Amino acid sequence: MKKFITATTLIALSAFFSIASQAAEGDVGVAATMDDRYCTTCHGAEGRGNIAIDAPRLAGMEAWYLKRQLENFRAGIRGTHGEDTQGIAMQPMAAKLTDESIADIVDWVGDWEYVPAEATVDGNVNQGRNAFQSCAACHGANAEGNEALGAPALAGQNDWYMITQLRNFRAGYRGSHREDTYGSQMLTMSKTLRDDQAIINVVSYINTLQK
Amino acid sequence: MTIPVSRREFLNLLGAYGGTSAVLQAGAALGFMPASSQAAEISLQANSGKKVAILGTGISALTTAWELTKAGYDCTLLEASHRPGGRMFTVRAGTVIDEIGNYQRCEWDDDPHLYFNAGAARIPSIHSNVLKYCKELEVELQVFVNESRTAWVQDDAFNGGKPVRNADYSSSMQGFVSEMLAKSLGESQLDSSLTESESETLLGMVRSFGDLNEDMLYKGTVRAGYGSGGFLDHGTTKDVIALRDLLKTRLARNVMVTNQEGTGSGPLLMQPVGGMDRIIYAFANRLKDRIKFLAPVTEVMVKDDGVEVAYEQNGVTEMLKADYCFNCIPSHLMTGIPNNFPDDYTEALGYIRRGNAYKAAFQAKERFWEKENIYGGITWVNAPTQQIWYPPHNIHGKKGVVLAAYNFGGANYTEMSQEDRIEDFLKHGEKVHPNYREMAEKPITIAWHRMNNMLGCAARWARDGAWSEKEEQMYETLRQPVNGRHYLIGDQSTQHSAWMESAIQSAHYAMADLDQRVRSEPA
Repeated sequence: MKKFITATTLIALSAFFSIASQAAEGDVGVAATMDDRYCTTCHGAEGRGNIAIDAPRLAGMEAWYLKRQLENFRAGIRGTHGEDTQGIAMQPMAAKLTDESIADIVDWVGDWEYVPAEATVDGNVNQGRNAFQSCAACHGANAEGNEALGAPALAGQNDWYMITQLRNFRAGYRGSHREDTYGSQMLTMSKTLRDDQAIINVVSYINTLQK
Repeated sequence: MTIPVSRREFLNLLGAYGGTSAVLQAGAALGFMPASSQAAEISLQANSGKKVAILGTGISALTTAWELTKAGYDCTLLEASHRPGGRMFTVRAGTVIDEIGNYQRCEWDDDPHLYFNAGAARIPSIHSNVLKYCKELEVELQVFVNESRTAWVQDDAFNGGKPVRNADYSSSMQGFVSEMLAKSLGESQLDSSLTESESETLLGMVRSFGDLNEDMLYKGTVRAGYGSGGFLDHGTTKDVIALRDLLKTRLARNVMVTNQEGTGSGPLLMQPVGGMDRIIYAFANRLKDRIKFLAPVTEVMVKDDGVEVAYEQNGVTEMLKADYCFNCIPSHLMTGIPNNFPDDYTEALGYIRRGNAYKAAFQAKERFWEKENIYGGITWVNAPTQQIWYPPHNIHGKKGVVLAAYNFGGANYTEMSQEDRIEDFLKHGEKVHPNYREMAEKPITIAWHRMNNMLGCAARWARDGAWSEKEEQMYETLRQPVNGRHYLIGDQSTQHSAWMESAIQSAHYAMADLDQRVRSEPA
């Protein structure tokens, strides 16, 4: 509930083009904005995530991570494995983004207020805490993320999204592209979670952390 | 030639479809007209300026705004898109198709006949409320030809993959089914349950239905068109397609039932002249300044005395406070918008799945189908493209817009690139029309799963065929207004989604509830 349009945003928007909406003469409607700020349709108002679309929270995501992820999707490094259902949904959305669009989106997402996601799973937090020790090495003790290691924040993210991605990493649906450097690390690390319950436990523990 | 089918085989078939009891009990339904054939009489108590926030501009929202405005309510509509109408979307020269990641701009010739109804496309005679508003708002209608017996049936497994006229297919199928029925009538249990006169009537119909000969055998029919002659010379029948050949394709399930009015299909349907969005604009142009475009809702908070709706416009968050809120935002998007709905309401919203329909169309350089004696209707193909529609309007005009694919499940089209989608429908279409590829220009595709601000087609409620008790409960939960203030409307709030009529009726249902509440308020 805030924020006014920024100068950079205005400049970025003016670089996009708009086209008159076409119906008959005299019909109501406005010009279609053909910009690339369509993230909230799937990812929810102010990027808070939408479980019905399987689209994770963007608000609070680090700019460097968001940029890398969009670039990876654009390049097909992510979202091209045949079993990665959600990634496949995302990949074409990013495929046509320009560097300028990505910068604009990152800037835009940065405007959104960080509000931690609601917990939807209820695993064994104690067991999850133990398992998290290996995660903490990269993602930080409070799952706050570590840019130097290329590890994004986990705290505050939608738990259902983290569960999906841990499953995907374990199954090799994510992180197996040969150019997905960080993903391949994560793929290896995900094997330390021996089953689905272990995934749910560790995510339940992450739910207890604040960014 | 014909291959005999045993009576046992036929009775087995009958058994599979519920046996004969349904036939014998049919009399009970005589004399009743379905309720949906009556348009609703709306009589809202005149109201001085209660504020109503209407979220979305689908036809349920526009109906609400129209009726409430007439009754004196002060309505504001918030629309996330640049255009009104939601899934009532007509594509013509210049239209922007805002599929996320696949923007298209329609480059067809600027001609009023060249349009494509990418969402709702047909109006059945029994959708009385749609028709009522068309009449009230002076939307000119014309006949839409849903079934043409000169259109084709094509299946790689049937007739060597070569297309067969619908008439050849359906007449033969009808003939053989009649022949089997006639045989069984003579011997089966049926005759003991019917009087002689009833049997005679039934048999007469069966013979006529299949165009059977005196021996009650199907030996071909001129209904399929003449093999030769027919005008100056006596007509001859075409060769009969053997039953076993007919059964090589399962398309009979589609081909034989396109004229069933009750389910919203029918040989005669209607469409607005110039595109389905003429209905949308008939409402929207009258509501004009009440609609805010490019104004996505970012929060819905139901209070004791009203509803507070936050939305963004021009990069600024605005607040709309209203006494009541009518919401047709697709449920799967509403779950991503912060709100304070009760848990069971939110759970029900999140339960509804989003439909995955896909359509494709192109501008034809010439009306090539007319050279094949086709003037509308549907060609059925056993491919994911499923259907080809020929425009029934502007007959003998220069060009026309052809529907090249209509897949209700979306198949894999959503994931396919634009180039692959186009190649797919060209590849399947040229099996029907050899010059299809050459005739197709400026193709467009609509994958509803990825359309901006929609992300889906008709709501999908029941997950296992019939509605479960839990689904019925969730449906009732969503039909009740939150705190008497927030109403969910649209086809998602009906048990017959995907139709404009349902969406309109959902609006009427909600407004009736509102009216009752307002009337019972202390003066």
